[in-house]
Parts: sequence; C-alpha cells; structure tokens
Amino acid sequence: MGNKKVKWVAPVALASIVGLTACGGASSDNRSAEEVESGPISFSLFSADSNSNWVGMKDAVGAAITEKTGVTLDAEYAIGGDTQKVSLMVASGEYPDLIMPKGDTSKLVDAGALVDLTDLIEQYAPNIKKMYAEDMNRLKYSKEDQSIYIIPTYTGVGQTTFDAGGGFELQLEVLKELGYPEIRTLEDFEKAIKEYYEKNPTINGQPTIPLSLNADDWKMMIGVTNPAFLATGLPDNGEFAINPDTYESQLHYKRPEEKEYFRWLNKMYNEGLLDKETFTQKSDQYLAKISSGRVLGTINQEWDYSEAENALKGSSDPTTQNRIYGHFPVTLNEQYKDHSFMDVGFPGGYGIGLTTNLSDAEQIRAIKFLDFLASDEGQVLVQWGVEGDHYNVEDGKRVIPQEIQDRKTNDNVAFTKETGIGMYTTMSPHYGDGVKDETGNYYTTNFPEQIQNAYTQPEKDALKQYNATTWKDLFPQADELGTSAWGAAYNLPAPNDSSYTVSFQKSQDIVRKRIPEAILAPADQFDTIYDGMLEELNADDILEMEKIFSQQIKDTVELWGTGK
Amino acid sequence: MGTLTPGGSSNRNPGTPAADALAGKRFKKQGFWRTALQQRYLYLMSLPFVIWAFIFSYLPLWGWTMAFQDFKPAKGFFEQKWVGFEHFVELFSDDRFYLALRNTLAMSVMGLVVGFVVPIIFAVLLNELRGMIFKRFVQTVSYLPHFVSWVVVAGLVTKMLSTQGGAINDLLVGLHIINEPIQFMAKGEWFWYIVTASDVWKEMGWNTIIYLAAITGIDPELYEASRVDGASRYRQMWHITLPGIRTTISVLFIMQIGHLLQIGFEKQFLLGNNLVLEYSQVLELYALQYGLQMGRFSYGTAISIFNSVVSVILLFTVNGIFKRVSKESIM
Repeated sequence: MGNKKVKWVAPVALASIVGLTACGGASSDNRSAEEVESGPISFSLFSADSNSNWVGMKDAVGAAITEKTGVTLDAEYAIGGDTQKVSLMVASGEYPDLIMPKGDTSKLVDAGALVDLTDLIEQYAPNIKKMYAEDMNRLKYSKEDQSIYIIPTYTGVGQTTFDAGGGFELQLEVLKELGYPEIRTLEDFEKAIKEYYEKNPTINGQPTIPLSLNADDWKMMIGVTNPAFLATGLPDNGEFAINPDTYESQLHYKRPEEKEYFRWLNKMYNEGLLDKETFTQKSDQYLAKISSGRVLGTINQEWDYSEAENALKGSSDPTTQNRIYGHFPVTLNEQYKDHSFMDVGFPGGYGIGLTTNLSDAEQIRAIKFLDFLASDEGQVLVQWGVEGDHYNVEDGKRVIPQEIQDRKTNDNVAFTKETGIGMYTTMSPHYGDGVKDETGNYYTTNFPEQIQNAYTQPEKDALKQYNATTWKDLFPQADELGTSAWGAAYNLPAPNDSSYTVSFQKSQDIVRKRIPEAILAPADQFDTIYDGMLEELNADDILEMEKIFSQQIKDTVELWGTGK
Repeated sequence: MGTLTPGGSSNRNPGTPAADALAGKRFKKQGFWRTALQQRYLYLMSLPFVIWAFIFSYLPLWGWTMAFQDFKPAKGFFEQKWVGFEHFVELFSDDRFYLALRNTLAMSVMGLVVGFVVPIIFAVLLNELRGMIFKRFVQTVSYLPHFVSWVVVAGLVTKMLSTQGGAINDLLVGLHIINEPIQFMAKGEWFWYIVTASDVWKEMGWNTIIYLAAITGIDPELYEASRVDGASRYRQMWHITLPGIRTTISVLFIMQIGHLLQIGFEKQFLLGNNLVLEYSQVLELYALQYGLQMGRFSYGTAISIFNSVVSVILLFTVNGIFKRVSKESIM
C-alpha cells in the first residue's frame, strides 16, 4: 500500500467519470409491451404556448383523465412566444412524444419528425373520425403531401362564437357617464374618449390615460396592425389581405384605407389622446395601466388583457368594477363592416401531433389517448369537469352550481389550477361552442345562457342599455358577411422555403419599425414616412414572397375542394 | 502521513518549478518520449482534461461544416447538399447584418471603455478609504446589482425613464431643466447610452472586486517608502497603486477584447422595443431571428463562424500589441 498505488487511482477514476458522462445521454426509455398496451404510461408533451397554470395533472380533471386512460403527461410549456424551442428540437433530433408546435409544424415535417396519423385515426380513433368527418380534407398537410400530421385542437369543430372578445374597447364607466352613446365609427369612439377625458383628467388621483395599446414585440400585430384591417372591413388573414376571387395576396398594410386608419392613430397621438408610452411600454406595464382603471379605451383582444380586467372585476369598489371594457365593432366609417364573425368554416390549423419518438405500439396508445379526449365522456370531463364536483345533472341538463361559477369568474387562476377545467381543451380534439351532444347538452360551457351568467353586473347593466344580451349582438352577424374558401389564413402552415421566411421576416421588421414611427410623427410628416414604408415593402423579394403566399392559398383551396 | 496526495512526494516527482526547468533542459537532450515516460503520471493526470477539452471544445467544430451545406435536419452527413460559400455571400450582402455588426461593436466598445475605467477608478478610490466598515458596506452595496437578473434591471430602467412618473423625468421637470418629460426609450440614438449606463450600474461593483484583490497584493512597504519620501496620496495612487495592478488590467483587457463580438443579447432584447430596432439589433439577436428561429441552421452557423474568426483575430492582434508594447500578454 505505498504511494505508487494511490497515484494511479485519481487519474483512472477521473478518466472513467469523463467516459461515463460522455455515454450517459444515450440510454432510451424502454417500455415493456404490456405497459405500452394498457398499463400506466407517461408521455412527454411540448406546447409552444405558455401555460402558467399547469400543475402536472394533479388537478381534478387531470387525475380523472389519468384514471380513465392510464396516461400521465409530462408537459413542457414554452415561455412567452418562444419559437426557438422547436428549431432546437429539430437540430438535436430529440423530440417529445406529443407536440403542439403552433406555427412551426413545417419545420418538424421537413425533419420527418411527425407521424402520419391518417391510418391511426382510421383504425384506432372512432371518436376523432366522427368529429372531423366532413372536414378530414382540411387536416391534410399540403397539396403535395396529403398526410395528416396535426389534429387541430386550437379550434373547436362546428364552433359558433357567442361572445365578442375583440373589436374596440371602451370602459363601461365612460359609456355610463355619457349616457350609452352609439359607438360605431372611429369618430364615435374618439368622441366618447375625448368627452370623458375632458371631464375627468384624473382617476383615483392619477392622470387619466385616454387610449393605450399593447405594442410589445409580436403583440403589436394584435393591438396595432390587426385593428387596421378590422376597421376597414376585412377578416383576419394574418398579415395578408386576400382577394376572395383571384386569391392574390398582399400585405394588408398596403391598402390605402388602412393608411387612413393609421393616420387616425397619428391624429390621436398628436392630440395627446394616445398614450405616449404605447410603443415603448412592455406588456406588463400595459396590463398594470389597465388594472389601475385609468385607461378609458384600448384596441385589443380580450385574451390579452383579461388578466388585468379580472383584477378590476374583483375590486370591492363599484366604480372600479365598472372600469372593465365593452366591445364595439368600430370601423373607419359607416361604409365598412367589422368582419370578426365571418364564417370561415372549420379553419383547421394549430393542434397536436405525434412524433417519431414513439414506437408503433406507443403511437397506437397515444392516438387512443387523444381519442378518449375526443369522446363524449372525455369532452364533458375536459370542458365541464367532474360530475358532482363541478357540475350537476338536473332533469337531464348539465348545470354549474352558482358558487362554482362565481369562483370561475372571480378567482379564475386558482380555480383552473385546482380543477384543470379549460386546461386540456387546447390539447384535445374538441367540439366548438354551440354543438350539442346526444343528451341535448352543449359540449362546452360557453353557450348563450352561460355566457350571460358569467357577465358581471356592470356588464349586464351596460348591455341592457344597448338592447343586447352579449357583446356579439352589437357586431355584424355571420349571415351578412359571406364565407371564406381558405378558412383563416393565419391558421394555415406558413410556406417553409427560406425565400419566403426571410422576406416575410424582413417585411415584418420594416412594418414594426415604420408604423410606430409614422404614428408618432408630426401630422405633416405622416405621409412621407408611411409612403416610405410602402416603397420598402415593394422591394422585389417581398413581392416575390406575396406571390408564394398567394400560391399557398390557391393550393389550399384546391386541397380542401372549397373553390368556386 | 500524506500518502493520499498524489504527486506530493517531491523528491521522486518533478513537480516543483525548479524540477520543471530541469526537465525542460533535459527534454531537448533526451527527446519527447523519454520525458513523457518520466513524467507519465503527470501526463496521465492531465489526460482527462485534454479529453474533456477535446470533446466539448474541438469536437463541436465539426458542426461548422453545416455552414457550407444547405443543411436539412434529420438527414445524414453525406446526404446534405454542399453549397460552398453561398451562406457567407448572403450574409455579407445583407444590410441588416452590417447594422447588427455596427450596433454590436458600438455597444461593445462603449461598454469596454466605460466598463474598464469606472471599476478601476472605483477600486482605487475604495482602497483609499480608511473606515473598514464603511468600505465593506460600500463594496457590498455596489456589487449586489450584479446578482439581479437583467429582466428585473430592464424593468427598473424602463420604469425610471418612464414619462409617467419616472424618477428621472420627474427630477428633470422638477428642476425646470426640461418642460416636458423626455421619451428616453423611444429615442434610437440614446439606446446605446442607456444600455451602457445600465451595464455600468449593474456590473461596476462586481468588476471592482478583482482590482481590489490585486491592490491588496501590492507590498505595503512601497507605500511606506513613498510616504517617507513625501509622496502625496495622489502620487501614491498614480505611481504605486495603478502600476501595481497594471498586469491585472492588461490581462483582463486582452480577454475582454476576445469577447468584443459576444456581448450577449439580454440587455438589448429586454430594453429594446420596435422603435429603436435600428440601434438595438445585435449580432446574436440577428443570428437567433434570421438563423435559428427560421430553421436556417446553416445561415446561423455562418454567422457564428464569422463571430469566432473575428474574435480570434482580435485576440491575437491585441495580445501581440501588448506583448510588444508592455511585455504583458496572456499567451
């Protein structure tokens, strides 16, 4: 036992440690055949959306799903609008078992990472098959590759929307004080804000903010550029305006009428009505302002600011409770109609897919899992919760007890974490609002009576003044707006060749910089800056990009068989 | 009895500097293999680290081949299409790349200059403080921001510079220096300064630590001697303290130069907004957006090769200059 021996030990040990760590990553999870077929099994899941409420299926609905199917999900949700995660997966070749890639589907398809679900659905998923019966074509990936990679779960089949969450928003308190005026055009909207602002320069001791928008990063599309086409009578097709006859597409900001919309924002800014911090504030600052009750009007989608609005709803002060927002179909002038509620058919789009990480047997198990979620039993569980705990059946009708509904409205975050209601909807193939099951009950909890029940008292009061039962009643209805042959273009997979993606990104860089610049300019410089932007957007590569997109729309229409 | 420390018995192993020098001389005479055999335990001990460095630093360089291919994931190496320098040509003909390069260099150089001068001055001044408790207190307070995440710092900065109740604007308006609040965050040309200033606030104290440590290494006799000779405090700082930490400064400076293009993107990403895009876009953000996020792995790799090559050139140039001018270098 001399020095000699000891001297050997350290290097050898170190070397073997290095060796071991180098090999460590290679082992894969081997599941026994039996386990795969029916035993408890765990699938990993990645979603490109964030979800701060996920508690690892320990919620009531999650536990019930595990009990029924034996499946536990090990889910990872992206932070913010994370788009690099999927790219990284593709680069490393390591995929989760189930994936919800949002707009990044094409990257996964190119890498051969997604499983074609056509046969799996045919053989093992009767419920899914039944659900998409008429719309199976719309699940196909593209004209060249007619495989089904993604089951669309972000949108409900047969969806009828019963409430408006978009349009232009005004505080109920403003409406009340002004005697509930008609809000139809930008002029009406501006007048209401102005009048109230003159009378109330401060709210709760702090300066009133007449109009504030959320323009942080990609939210600028929601809060600044999308309203431009909404106010000029176009449906949402992402960044494009599509000619319904020729399917020729162009970036929608190129339309002259939208320039007038931005000119209006410019005017609002120069009159001191548009929040000076609109383009420098971050999302959380915007939300803080909304929840302080000082913002009279905003132009946004409710899902973006509902968090802040919930804080107002939960206040004990009746005036503060009245500082939540109503939705109005505001357009540039009477000539245009808000197209929010255009019937686009089943739009397909974002959803859930299986990756090649799963063995054949595991794929069957996974599709059966999704099929359970798509079954009537699964649907009711996901949407309504557990019978007896979250809803009761009275005379054959599903009813949510009042105290549960109250918690859902006023204490939504804790309620979701605890019960899991609403959390599994975006991963389940599901029916939309307004579809009834065999028992004559709605699949979802959003139906006219339920929506009206969920309104707070101030909302009910305001709606009454407008002779409406929901905000949607104020909007132009689907039957007067026509249909779309390509669904909603923002929901289609984007072309993946780099000449498209690079030019598209370039166009977005231009728009995100120039439009704020134009809005914040002195009125006499607005035209110069906006026209300068249009010139930049007419560069050859961007025109080429628009052509590729037009072709994509044409192909989609052909694939779906919805053309004229 | 010391048996557990390998290499501890100095008379049998050439571990001490003197023995090393001896071995060096013998090396020339006796040839490499003989020395290697003699020092086999030393070689063996360094082997894991050589393997380590090879696996984690050199092996990944293989990935550089991607920049010369039209890389598609999930295809084998031999199935990839080779495109030569196409991605580099595209990179060097993209205006946005030059914009990103300009912003990176501008913020990097500003950060380098301020990030060196301020901590050195601060360290020298701190060193002159007499009250031990006060000194410790100042030091602790000044380096605490280092542990605050950039997300939080960005929030603080935005709030401070806000036009609605932001401290800076309130102060300036209150003192009647300006009439109306300034929209600091909306001015592109100010963006670089805002980033540099927040960086100084966050990292000044932390960067001071290493200089303070170097200062404590200076022989106190030098100060005593100079005092006897009648040197004032400023003289002492100038002739003893600063020359005393010169080596540390040079080494850190050379290493910083090597990182000139790699300034990260957290600051720019978190403090920037759409209005200042022309000043906030940096190379790493560009690589992320136009490379990785679009799934253009080859293009992203090309950017990273450019980065590395420029960094290596910069490092060697500066190192060479220092070697010649001041005889201090890191290689």
